[in-house]
Amino acid sequence: MAYNHKAIHVDTFRCVGCHACEAACKVEQNIPPGPKWIEVIEVEKMVGAEYKMFWKPMACFHCGEPDCLPVCPTKAISKREEDGIVLVSKDLCIGCMECFRACPFGAPQLGFDGKMEKCNLCVHKTAGGGVPACVSTCPSEAMFFGTTQELSSLMRKKHSVRSISVNGAGNPSVGSASAAKAAEGRTQVVRLSNKAGALSNH
Amino acid sequence: MKNIYLSPSDVIGSGLIKVDEVRKTVCPRNCFDTCGLLAYVKDGKLLKIEGDPDHPITKGHLCAKGTLYARRTNHKDRIKYPLMRVGKRGEGDFKRITWDEAFDYIVDKLKFCKKKYGGESIVEYIYSGNREFLAKTVADRCLNLIGASKLVGSFCLLSGLSGATYTNGSQYTQGIEIWSKKAEVIMIVGHNSSFTNVHSLPFIWEAMDRGAFLIVIDPYVTPIATKADLFLQPRPGTDTAMVLAMMKYIFDNGLEDREFISEHTYGVDELEKAVSEWTLEKASEVTGVEPHLIAKAAEIYATNHSHMECGWGHQRYTNGHQTQRAYSCLAAICGHIGKEGATCNYLDISAYKTPSVRDKWDRGVRESMGFLEIDNVNYPKGSPSKYLRRRLINISAFGKALREAKEPPIKAVISWRGGLLSQQPDVKKMIEGIKKLDLFVSLELFMTDDTDWADIVLPAADTFEQYGIHPSYWHHYVQLQKPVIEPLHESKADLDFWCELGRRMGHEKFFPKDKTGDQWLRDFLPKDFELYDSVDSERIVRIPEKYSARIPWADKKFNTPTGKIELYSVGMAERGKRHPGEWSPVPHFEETMESPVSRPDLFKKYPLMMISQHAPLRIHCQWFNVEEIQEIEGPPGIFINEMDAAEYMIKEGDQVKVFNDRGEISVVAKVTNRIKKGVCEVNSGNWIKSGSSPNVLMGEYTGGPRDVGDGTMRENYDFERDGNTIGYFNCLVQIKKEN
Repeated sequence: MAYNHKAIHVDTFRCVGCHACEAACKVEQNIPPGPKWIEVIEVEKMVGAEYKMFWKPMACFHCGEPDCLPVCPTKAISKREEDGIVLVSKDLCIGCMECFRACPFGAPQLGFDGKMEKCNLCVHKTAGGGVPACVSTCPSEAMFFGTTQELSSLMRKKHSVRSISVNGAGNPSVGSASAAKAAEGRTQVVRLSNKAGALSNH
Repeated sequence: MKNIYLSPSDVIGSGLIKVDEVRKTVCPRNCFDTCGLLAYVKDGKLLKIEGDPDHPITKGHLCAKGTLYARRTNHKDRIKYPLMRVGKRGEGDFKRITWDEAFDYIVDKLKFCKKKYGGESIVEYIYSGNREFLAKTVADRCLNLIGASKLVGSFCLLSGLSGATYTNGSQYTQGIEIWSKKAEVIMIVGHNSSFTNVHSLPFIWEAMDRGAFLIVIDPYVTPIATKADLFLQPRPGTDTAMVLAMMKYIFDNGLEDREFISEHTYGVDELEKAVSEWTLEKASEVTGVEPHLIAKAAEIYATNHSHMECGWGHQRYTNGHQTQRAYSCLAAICGHIGKEGATCNYLDISAYKTPSVRDKWDRGVRESMGFLEIDNVNYPKGSPSKYLRRRLINISAFGKALREAKEPPIKAVISWRGGLLSQQPDVKKMIEGIKKLDLFVSLELFMTDDTDWADIVLPAADTFEQYGIHPSYWHHYVQLQKPVIEPLHESKADLDFWCELGRRMGHEKFFPKDKTGDQWLRDFLPKDFELYDSVDSERIVRIPEKYSARIPWADKKFNTPTGKIELYSVGMAERGKRHPGEWSPVPHFEETMESPVSRPDLFKKYPLMMISQHAPLRIHCQWFNVEEIQEIEGPPGIFINEMDAAEYMIKEGDQVKVFNDRGEISVVAKVTNRIKKGVCEVNSGNWIKSGSSPNVLMGEYTGGPRDVGDGTMRENYDFERDGNTIGYFNCLVQIKKEN
């Protein structure tokens, strides 16, 4: 039932790199300083003449076909049928970190007990219909949780609202035409990347 | 009872824990958001803090700092018992004493100072480490009765507040839950919403999804700036030039709201004259912002239903009051004041002063006319010192006052809820002043930079261990703070400390031993205020509109001498006749007192402009010592522009010395393009003892309008109209790679 599998979606337009998700995960899962089940990566780059900066919270993607699962020598990693959450059993794990070497995203962490640990999508909450701590804490409301189908519909709705919003902006008043004109360019930009004003150096 | 997944920190993954209770409380830090919190308590221990989903603005979300609260409250390094200095001040060597011994020592010294120098030789140092008002006001009662000097002012935002107040009267905010629904253009000025006001973001995103256009003005590419449709990046301290050019452009192209100007403003002719020299090209030369961008911002802002959300970064320079004057005038000439979705927000002062009070323009110092009964608490009935003319010490020149105050000199300081050393400028000079004291007491949670220099260190109680009330200065919801847990170790709630001190100084009558925190809160709240009857409840209440209107200035009544929005400020002209300072009644641009243009002599040696951000994961020096924060932040750094780094042959990760005539620090280089060439940035709040505090390098610049000299005053001080703000961000430095 892969289409029922749960995921976290991050709207990277909304993410501002505040790291509240990192803190929430630590507190919810009682992790001391050290392992980071979620980490926010800041990216700064010049794309042509445009300066771009964005933030990418990365936990575990609970892949449909996890690279970590087949390489585990003790079969400690499993993927739940009902929601697709990829879990590691501390009892079976020997801490060899082969899973880490297989994962393209750096998700597995080495815990203080010498065993692997990683984001478990707050299974203790989400199995009962709850939401992961990172998602509920995010002050920017940049993180969304649900099945991949639900997330897909959500992003489609968000995009559609934006592309018709130009003419529905606020009060019809003097200048709404120019606001519309000014905002026009934005509807063509996919909001998941960012643009900053022209960076000229003094 | 909610379950939380938590186990003692030495046992990982041990399963769900059932807690004893979940209490509602509020974050009293100096932060716009003032979040509703849920505190999870078991066996008298604070296990966890989460956001309260019932809060209409913060909606259950929390920043990293709030989320990590329990780790801070329960931190192993919390000061556990009173300490007395052993050896010389500053050596940081202490021995354990009892509270009785501590009080005896303090009372002896205070009485000695009173006798030898007079009560005014005593002063507190307090800012906003815990910004709640109750203990602060009870402390003031104690200090009033002792006859101490009175600490007034701020170093944070009062220059700008005066600029806004002189323009359109006493300042209140329109809630974001209102303006975000109607604004067509949102202009965020000198405000890093992404770090200091995170809960504003969902409202802003919704507005943008609806089609609103976002303009951000900041010398630094903050995260919110990366989301802007239009971003203007002026040279630090030069916003005013850009804003004057925007106004000239607006006038030249007929984009101003002539009807609004004629009905509701005064002095447009003088303003038009003042901006006439500010062509786009001239402003571009000064600020480094391209002329067409200045014009574009002006046009979009003027011709739409535009909301200006002012932070305080742009006024943290000398002459910052004129910077805000310019921004407020810009809003005024476009008619964007007092409209739903289009106003100019700076600060909400309703806790101190309500709009219903039509104060006399040049009134004396009346402490408060806000919805908190501050006067009733700090000047109680029967107290002999009511309206006693105490000497005032202006916190924006505290270092100077310590060193230079006479008749009497300052000889005893009780420091609490603020970083006297870490958050004031010119650390070396501040230490000189501290060395001259007969008594320096520090009431603190951890051994900080301040405690290093104290004679007596007292264990402070944490937020969750005390009573309080902390109205936000941004939104309009208020909650009571009640202790969620008992004070840990031997710590004492601030309220209890000041009451005990008051009793021991001979004023038992005004600090009854059996008075409860609830009773103190009742004294403090107006009787018609909803929370008064619910002192036992945990409600989140909107301040009644009579204290802070839903749409401030909707009635177009402005608390200025002319009753109109003053583009030409009669208020400034008048007050300028009475007090020294910078009182030009029309906004104008001046280079800051330490800029490449104003100080070419310094600039030759120190060619970089250093600004200082609020760290996203701290409130200045708070949370600096929490390991979970340190592992995210990494070692203290300096942001250096890529081109500068190349010239200095500095790579990412190099250890760099940053220095000027005032001192030097050592930080890790972070090479970036988020600041322009010639600008560098070191976060505020890095502890001095980590060797990375930017305050070591900053000068004692007190911005206007009023000149506060050596920081002592005996005449009227008006927090709305005198200023001040410290010019933290006009600071020239040099950097050098360390080997």
